[in-house]
Amino acid sequence: MLNRRTFLATSAASLILPVAARAADWPAIEAEARGQTVYFNAWAGSDTINAYIAWAAGEAKARHGITVEHVKITDTAEVVKRVRDEVAAGKQDGSVDLVWINGENFRTMKTEKLLFGPFSESLPNYALVDVAGKPTTRQDFAESVDGLEAPWGMAQLTFFADGAKVAQPPRSMADLIVFAKEHPGRVTYPAPPDFHGTTFLKQVLLETAPDVAQLAKAADGMAITPAWQAMLDDLHPHLWREGKQFPKSQADITNMVADGELLIGLTFNPNEPANLVAAGTMPATTIAWQHAKGTIGNTHFVAIPVNAKARAAAQVFANFLLSPEAQARKNDIKVWGDPTVLAVEKLPAELQAAFTGSAAPGSVSLPGPTLLEPHASWVPLLEKDWLSRYGKG
Amino acid sequence: MRVLAALPLVLVFLLPLAASLLFVLPDAVNAGALRELVAHPQFSGALRLSLFTGLASTALSLLAALAITFAAGGRNLAGRAGVFLAVPHLSLAIGLAFLIMPTGVVARLFALLAGWNAPPQWVTTQDPWGFSLIVALVLKETPFLVWAFASLLNRDDLRRQFEGQQAVARSLGHGPASTFLRILLPQLLPRAAGPLIAVLAYGLTVVDMALVIGPTQPPVLAQLVWTDINDADPAVSARGGAGVVVLGLVVALVVAASALAAVMFKKVRQRFYGAAPRPGRGMPRGLAALWPAFLAIYAAAVLIMIVQSLSGHWPFPQRLPDVVTWKAWSHLAADPAPLLTSLALALASAAAALAACVAWLEWTPARADRVLAPAAVLVLCLPALLLALGEYRLFLALGVTGSAAALFLAHLLPVTAYVFLLLAGPYRAFDPRWQATAHGLRARRLPFLLRIKWPMLKAPLLSAAAIGFAVSVVQFVPAQLAAAGRFATLPMEAVTLSSGGNRALIATYGLALMALPLAGFLLASRLSRPRWSTP
Repeated sequence: MLNRRTFLATSAASLILPVAARAADWPAIEAEARGQTVYFNAWAGSDTINAYIAWAAGEAKARHGITVEHVKITDTAEVVKRVRDEVAAGKQDGSVDLVWINGENFRTMKTEKLLFGPFSESLPNYALVDVAGKPTTRQDFAESVDGLEAPWGMAQLTFFADGAKVAQPPRSMADLIVFAKEHPGRVTYPAPPDFHGTTFLKQVLLETAPDVAQLAKAADGMAITPAWQAMLDDLHPHLWREGKQFPKSQADITNMVADGELLIGLTFNPNEPANLVAAGTMPATTIAWQHAKGTIGNTHFVAIPVNAKARAAAQVFANFLLSPEAQARKNDIKVWGDPTVLAVEKLPAELQAAFTGSAAPGSVSLPGPTLLEPHASWVPLLEKDWLSRYGKG
Repeated sequence: MRVLAALPLVLVFLLPLAASLLFVLPDAVNAGALRELVAHPQFSGALRLSLFTGLASTALSLLAALAITFAAGGRNLAGRAGVFLAVPHLSLAIGLAFLIMPTGVVARLFALLAGWNAPPQWVTTQDPWGFSLIVALVLKETPFLVWAFASLLNRDDLRRQFEGQQAVARSLGHGPASTFLRILLPQLLPRAAGPLIAVLAYGLTVVDMALVIGPTQPPVLAQLVWTDINDADPAVSARGGAGVVVLGLVVALVVAASALAAVMFKKVRQRFYGAAPRPGRGMPRGLAALWPAFLAIYAAAVLIMIVQSLSGHWPFPQRLPDVVTWKAWSHLAADPAPLLTSLALALASAAAALAACVAWLEWTPARADRVLAPAAVLVLCLPALLLALGEYRLFLALGVTGSAAALFLAHLLPVTAYVFLLLAGPYRAFDPRWQATAHGLRARRLPFLLRIKWPMLKAPLLSAAAIGFAVSVVQFVPAQLAAAGRFATLPMEAVTLSSGGNRALIATYGLALMALPLAGFLLASRLSRPRWSTP
């Protein structure tokens, strides 16, 4: 497992790189961007996130004369497919200018050369990114970013529950099984290929793998470990609907936790439980935690397709999303609560103040270290094995 | 004139349809993808589930519709059934789920009586057998069949014929049930083959309802295919393409098998028809309650959607929400673009389809329908996924994805199919003596159409337009693919929001989705009242 310190050494050198690569002609890009329309394709299932994007679009209009249209999508894979089809059909003025992306979808677009760039490290605000403390800003699911996407926010698998019902939160998968046995039918996870469902399976993989270092490499020729299968076999009979049906999404699970149908929810945004308390969906007694030995963490990004029409404006908007002001607002639990990718301690004091929120009810009280994502090539293996073992009802 | 009148439908309907089918062809011959599909661990389970839910829901809907038609005893149910038709599948599924899910209204009532604090571990929505999906489909399709039967029974030419036959049957000693089963049924069913096939095809290939209320492990085949098509991995996406073709084959095979079964049972049926007359007792009491029961469930589903749309936090087992808020509705009001886009598309496509179909029906000979009618039936029977995929590739090749024209055409195709099938019967059945009389009085064609024929056909014209409008409003799959993110329509917005699980928003968009077609139907039924009838 990589920790922050070992990464510091490797990244210190690379900190110089963005400065060198920074576009000397940024004013020219800004001038070109004026008047362009950015079609920003972003998952739109959350109205708090949609409201934040609407705010950012308004600011981009006022400050840079850019129109940002939020193209509301359900699944980023649709966008990958659309760009691929357009490029194959020779469409130069593509329908996507900017896409919210990470992990598998990024890897697909990168390997198929569907991305414009490198551009992200030449954005002026990239210098503020905490590349040393947050290595996932440069390694997206063990895939090198190479300037093809600009970091936007941080995520770490986090669990939550009503503290009035769950006094002792399970802080490992093994403990979760014990908990499920004590509360049959009140725990579950979304079925893969849902993003959160896949992450849950990867977390099980990390907690059962004999050699974690192996998971950072491509899974070519590797097989899923029997320990992974054994742990799921142990867990499933005690899940909601005895592990024969699964909720479709993390959002459904959150509803079911709020209703009391389930006891434990999961999210990739450590601040979401606090956000849910602020919104009145979860009670003030809500607690949030991560596993004691760590949970999977990653960074989410924005990328520009190779056939984007408004490349200049897309870069200017990506740069705005990285600005301390936009990042601080995003970080605010009352707005969205998405953790920043910036190195806050390196910002001027007056800007730092915007990031310091007091611990709100529902904030993570039992944090764990960040574990790096297994290489994206493990996902198809996990999903296939899962489907053939548990997908038949 | 004939060629000119036929041109619009050829251009906006037959050509795009043929081209779309052509563009799916590569999937049909992609043997590798087909093997992948068959090797999918969920394939056989999903196929079984689709066959079960499709066949069971069609059979139950048919039985219920016949029972309701019989119980109506000659009353014309077409108008009332029209209101049910206006409720989109997706809205009904959302409302039904709110009723029966373990934290739904029914569970809350039980909790109140039994003193539960936590929601029960009921297996209602997402049951592995697909029962709740079948219930949702039966609720939606039965009124459609009732409406189809009522329209047939009240068609001018058929009504006179049936009334005469019924009088003869009565005089031969047949009771009401015997008359219905032996006289009406054998004449109704073949004429209703189109609607029945549409119901069967829909049940076998439904995506949106299955997403809300259907099982997940395995899901129904259409849902499996929909997930595959949208996958970023080209190999998985190709597997989805093969799945679309398989889905089309499944529909074709099931329809063919049903037709074959109908022929094979001919002997049995004939023995039944030839049996001695039965005076029969009165109508079984339960039958009369069936239609009001449908009405009650619809009303409950709509009511719970209204309550959900206004509710903030609503912990179980409280009967009423903690907070009543307009937040979800103001969300809709703050961004009215999807609503307006859907409205404009529906108005435009219904008007265009109506004009094109009337032109065709008025100026081409009836035998021209032999080309168009099968094409229209094909559109209704093919899985929506298949056509949408073909359209998407066609638009991509033409470089028009994301254009308003592509979006309009994607809506126009299914709308035209419905409008044509609804209109062809009554339009072609228009008594030619009227025209002969007008001709004899030296009236020219256009004044005759404007003053005599179209006003007399006002009811079918308006109801075809209303249904066309409703069909346009609910288009999701083709619209999503053609819009390329450039436009948002109401169903797209509803599906996107539903991925976030905000129940108030889901309910609000479910209601908005319903409001447009409902308004269309009410307007149509108001306008189609004969001017000379007393209000």
